[in-house]
Amino acid sequence: MLSVSNIDVYRGETQVLWDVSLDVHPGERVAILGSNGAGKSSLMGALTGALPPSRGRIDFQGQAIAGAKPYQVTQMGIALVPEGRRVYKDMSVWENLEMGGYPKRGRRHIKQSMDNVFDIFPVLQERRRQSGGTLSGGEQQMLAIGRALMSRPELLLIDELSLGLAPRITKEIYQALSGLGSETTVLLVEQNVEMALKNSQRAYIVESGRITRSGRSEELMADQDIRRAYLGL
Amino acid sequence: MFAIASMNGLVIGVIYALTALGVSLVVGIMNVVNFAHGEFYILAGYFSFLFANALGMPIIAAMGLAVALVFVFGLLVEYTLIRPTYGDDMYSLILTFILSIVLQNAYLFIFGPYPNKPPGWIKGATNIFDLFFYGNQRMAALVAGIAVIVVVFAMIKLTWFGRIIRAASQDRGMAELNGVNTTRLNMLSFGLGCALAAAAGVILAPVFPVTPTAGVPVALTAFVVVVLGGMGSMWGCIIGGLILGLVENLGAAYLSTGYKHVFGFVILIMVLAIRPSGLFGRKEA
Repeated sequence: MLSVSNIDVYRGETQVLWDVSLDVHPGERVAILGSNGAGKSSLMGALTGALPPSRGRIDFQGQAIAGAKPYQVTQMGIALVPEGRRVYKDMSVWENLEMGGYPKRGRRHIKQSMDNVFDIFPVLQERRRQSGGTLSGGEQQMLAIGRALMSRPELLLIDELSLGLAPRITKEIYQALSGLGSETTVLLVEQNVEMALKNSQRAYIVESGRITRSGRSEELMADQDIRRAYLGL
Repeated sequence: MFAIASMNGLVIGVIYALTALGVSLVVGIMNVVNFAHGEFYILAGYFSFLFANALGMPIIAAMGLAVALVFVFGLLVEYTLIRPTYGDDMYSLILTFILSIVLQNAYLFIFGPYPNKPPGWIKGATNIFDLFFYGNQRMAALVAGIAVIVVVFAMIKLTWFGRIIRAASQDRGMAELNGVNTTRLNMLSFGLGCALAAAAGVILAPVFPVTPTAGVPVALTAFVVVVLGGMGSMWGCIIGGLILGLVENLGAAYLSTGYKHVFGFVILIMVLAIRPSGLFGRKEA
């Protein structure tokens, strides 16, 4: 459903991704792993239209993404849960979710989507009148995911879900995510390698702007090099 | 004297609040400081004067048309002058500054230096609680100003457009990821900012006649109100506008009319000394 072929991406003058290719199939959970500054977030930027690649193609369900603006990409069915969550702090939980449902593909189903989000994260329903800034980090992450789901995306991109969250909360959110049906494909970017491998079927490893390894998550989990480099075992 | 000065302060305060809302909207969404804000305000005054006096339109229609035309003019200015400058706030600052000078001179050339005044909406004066007589026109201006502010607040609170405006002024990039076409949003908010200036202009023009440079002090005060109230806060605009209107008029009544505008700046300095981000400003802003 998503196919990235040989893209180069620049941030200003600096090249941050070299010849990156990857595929995501419908219904899959795919993780992108790598340390700080490896280029994971730049890849997210390329996928959402914020950082158009200077070379290569990105296709989503047969349509080219490269060159589309972020608001068009959202309309095509890709939703991003951004790094740092970026909830609208001065708007209520309710309004945050409504903003997520703003793209045309989501606007017709706002009521249903919201009930759906409240099913996945019941705490958001309790806090629906509170402003986003008053939520805890974990609740904000749930809100950011809920907001992304409001546009009824076919592909959900999650950037650094575990960042700044207590392990218990991270686990809870991953558990809730696994309840999403296979109609939502998920592409995860994570620094927390163990968490990501446990919650994905396949993974790509990014090192200094290049994809260096890829494979089934279980195999990567068992791999000695990876265990030494990323899991400290 | 206290009562009548307060009443005057209230009327002008509401107008300040209205102009400041326009400035605040454009700054919040686009990070553009529109130095020609006062000239849009005056343009609407001239339009309403022209349509009502020269073309003989009913005053309400003339006012509505004036605001609509200024809105369209605002859209055009955004499209031609502001849009190419995104990414460098300095250019839009200089461009709107030039635009204000060009517009002032155009008004001078077309309408001359004389004060022009569109017809009033109602005549006479009302006895207020047996304290003083107050001009009906000013009362009507007060009511109209409040009405426009209420409509703006309702729009911001209740409509999609308002939700988008609040979202984009908090996190522009995120709003774009939520499907907001920010290019179009910029254009609309710039137009709306100008329309708010225009609304203030048509409401106040029958009270204070329009001259080519009469917009300068109004725009200046609007900037003071935005900073006083706190960047990005709508309530800050309202409270700041009222404070400034009242302080100016009470100061003028009891101390000296010559220092009218000084009082506002003294209040500004006092507030900023205690609360650097303004009355309702967020800390990080």
